[in-house]
Amino acid sequence: MMTYRELRQQAEQTWQAVESPPRPRIAVGVTTCSRAVGADETLEAIRQEVSRRGLDADVAVTGCWGLCYAEPMVEIAKPDGSRILYQQVTAERVPQLIEEALASPDGVCQELALGAVSPQPVDGVRPLSSLDFMAVQEERRLMNNCGVIEPESIDHYIARGGYEGLSKALNMPQEDVLWEVSDAGAGLWGRGGAAFPTARKWEFLRDAKSEPKYMIGNADEGDPGSFVNRTLMESDPHGIIEGMIIGAYATGASYGYIYIREEYPLCVERMELALRQARERGLLGESILGSGFSYDMEIVRGAGSYVCGEETGLISSVEDARGMPKIRPPFPAQSGVFAKPTNVNNVETYANVPLILRHGAEWYSSVGTDDNTGTKMFSLSGHIQRVGVLEVPFGTPVRRLVYGAAGGPPEGRSLKAIQPGGPLGGILHADNVDLALEPEPFREKGALLGSGGLVIIDDSACIVDMCRYFEWFAEDESCGRCSTCRGGTQRMVEILRRIANGDGRPSDIDLLRLLADAMRYANCAHGQAAPTAVMNSIEAFLDEYQEHIEGKRCPAKVCHGLIRYEITGKSYGLPEAAAICPTAAIVQQDDDYAIDQALCIKCGACRELAPAAVHVVDAFATSD
Amino acid sequence: MTDTTKTPPELEQLLADLKPDNADLLAVLHRIQDAYGYVPPQAIPLLAEKLHTTPAMIYGAISFYSEIRREPPARTTISWCSGPACRLKGSENMRRALEAVLGIGLEESTDDKAVGLHLVQCDGTCALAPLVRLDGHPKGPLTVSEAIRLARELKGKEGQP
Ligand SMILES: Cc1cc2nc3c(=O)[nH]c(=O)nc-3n(C[C@H](O)[C@H](O)[C@H](O)COP(=O)(O)O)c2cc1C
Ligand code: SF4
Ligand code: SF4
Ligand code: FES
Repeated sequence: MMTYRELRQQAEQTWQAVESPPRPRIAVGVTTCSRAVGADETLEAIRQEVSRRGLDADVAVTGCWGLCYAEPMVEIAKPDGSRILYQQVTAERVPQLIEEALASPDGVCQELALGAVSPQPVDGVRPLSSLDFMAVQEERRLMNNCGVIEPESIDHYIARGGYEGLSKALNMPQEDVLWEVSDAGAGLWGRGGAAFPTARKWEFLRDAKSEPKYMIGNADEGDPGSFVNRTLMESDPHGIIEGMIIGAYATGASYGYIYIREEYPLCVERMELALRQARERGLLGESILGSGFSYDMEIVRGAGSYVCGEETGLISSVEDARGMPKIRPPFPAQSGVFAKPTNVNNVETYANVPLILRHGAEWYSSVGTDDNTGTKMFSLSGHIQRVGVLEVPFGTPVRRLVYGAAGGPPEGRSLKAIQPGGPLGGILHADNVDLALEPEPFREKGALLGSGGLVIIDDSACIVDMCRYFEWFAEDESCGRCSTCRGGTQRMVEILRRIANGDGRPSDIDLLRLLADAMRYANCAHGQAAPTAVMNSIEAFLDEYQEHIEGKRCPAKVCHGLIRYEITGKSYGLPEAAAICPTAAIVQQDDDYAIDQALCIKCGACRELAPAAVHVVDAFATSD
Repeated sequence: MTDTTKTPPELEQLLADLKPDNADLLAVLHRIQDAYGYVPPQAIPLLAEKLHTTPAMIYGAISFYSEIRREPPARTTISWCSGPACRLKGSENMRRALEAVLGIGLEESTDDKAVGLHLVQCDGTCALAPLVRLDGHPKGPLTVSEAIRLARELKGKEGQP
């Protein structure tokens, strides 16, 4: 068996070929988001182009920088040390890229260049770090390898300091490892939503009497709009694995599971490979790095259930049962998987651990705020110009992400609300855009910072409609155990639906409050938090509810029970609009077109094709 | 997608190494679904026997998961993303249009089993919102008219024998 030092030396040789490539190296970022826009085809086109031209170049697969908006991305590194990232390199653009970037030693394809991976401009290309999306990220710690290394190479991870934390930990008493992570040390707390101190949870497991003990990684990432765990697993899988092994060592766990949601097949692939590689190098399995400590783990692939992200639901699911959250006590640390002591952490939580062990608690807490040390990853989506994933210190104002990184809402639109932490996380009025990203300020506003999803909402959206969606989600995903949650979410959806359809009653607002009150008694946080967005919004957006209920109007003209499509005017697009209509609702009389309201399902397709002639009007408009 | 030209391996073969209390159920359900396209009912008693539990418990577990099918899928599945970014960009309008063109609701298939509609959760490809996944491949951003054309094309293409 090799020692860590030997593994590192071997890995550094492999990495050397990336750092100072002997010939050009073309690396394509292949991840879920880049595949969605054709990264596989780009990779294939590059391979063909390289062989067609007989170029002496290497082609590699890397992960994701977090710049979803710029995918597919390609990095070209040259022997002279220049490394340039190109954006939106679809397969058709590959010949142009290769021609311009590789025909001469200092060639650059200016049209597609996004940034240079260096602090200074290279060949007229600005440094990557100067992009708005990157500039807000003072220090990428968890994402330090994302986009940089080949996620399918354990050597790349090791060469950049990977598994050094584990090797250190194995030479420390368990107690000291716990201290490093604890509030006295780094102050790490869970990133899965509940913000519970990690070391305290680990102590419960360590102190549990029964054997074996299980260490579980929660990669269910069920919050729609959250994709931070996915980015880590696809771009730097070993960080999570190393963190879990260290956790197992500190607590005496001997086996583990990583629970990955069904929607993430590429994560499963890369994590499986990473586990195999770690086992081959003696970093997982019997007597890790010759220490005498043994731990192994496997992947469990979910099958589409949100409550399987709740830790006891996850445990039920691993136990081959319906993935229903359990009633506590007993807590997982006493009786978890197969009634054995179990610890569940989010995978981002684990990814922090190797860094703490490697650089020390003091380094770790040098960024963030007094109460919340370190950094957090966030995924940005919705009404913004740049969708992506980034990492910032706790305490960073939301504004820097929404406007700085993401470029704010599209032209002509203004920010209306921010939706943090998934459908249960609540909804905040745009007035809160200067809130600091850490749990307490969000909690004070009655919302949850959650696990990292931030959905940005502009003034084209209807708050009632969005809340109806959040509540529908909670209803759809309720496991059904508690009548408070099962019935409460159903009633709430009914009420919101009737409000959206113009049948709302003035008493409905109080009824929603009453239901939310009862739902606090649900068994798990799913039912308890299900009313959050509704409760936030009946405070912050009460007039919008009133307008729906009393005015029978949807101010954003979204709720389809309150709007009507009408043809007023002429347009050359009308014949096409009539043809696209899925219900043949557009009738032609001589030169005129009209919409048969009994047939119209208000899909808006006609308006896309004849915007000058088709208008959305209030269905119950009184005189104006 | 499932390769229907090959005969799938016998169920018994897929269940060979199952053990109780070994976190095997989800893995084997995926394995069966990959081979058959769905989990056939005759798998349920076999699973119960192997995992030392009752068919009712197995059925209860299977029916809990929205990505495990108990019926064969349509030849083409349009997976409609229900997520927030897609909703903000008009996915609801798109859903109503798809349902109207195909004459089916979510989780249903056309009578000839040509096209099915399936609700999926956000997988973080929100840069393409609003989107559908066609047999797993994301397509977006889609306008409502584009979605209608797509559904008509799939329906029409399958209409001819
Ligand atoms: C309905 C529901 C869904 C959840 N989904 C997730 C999830 O997808 N990922 C996650 O890490 N935690 C999720 N949690 C939180 C977990 O129950 C648990 O607190 C977390 O995994 C603990 O890890 P941490 O201490 O590292 O945060 C969910 C909680 C609830 C109530
Ligand atoms: S609160 Fe809802 S999800 Fe949680 S156990 Fe009760 S019914 Fe199930
Ligand atoms: S909104 Fe949709 S259903 Fe109504 S007329 Fe226009 S295309 Fe037809
Ligand atoms: S909301 Fe549809 S992909 Fe995220």
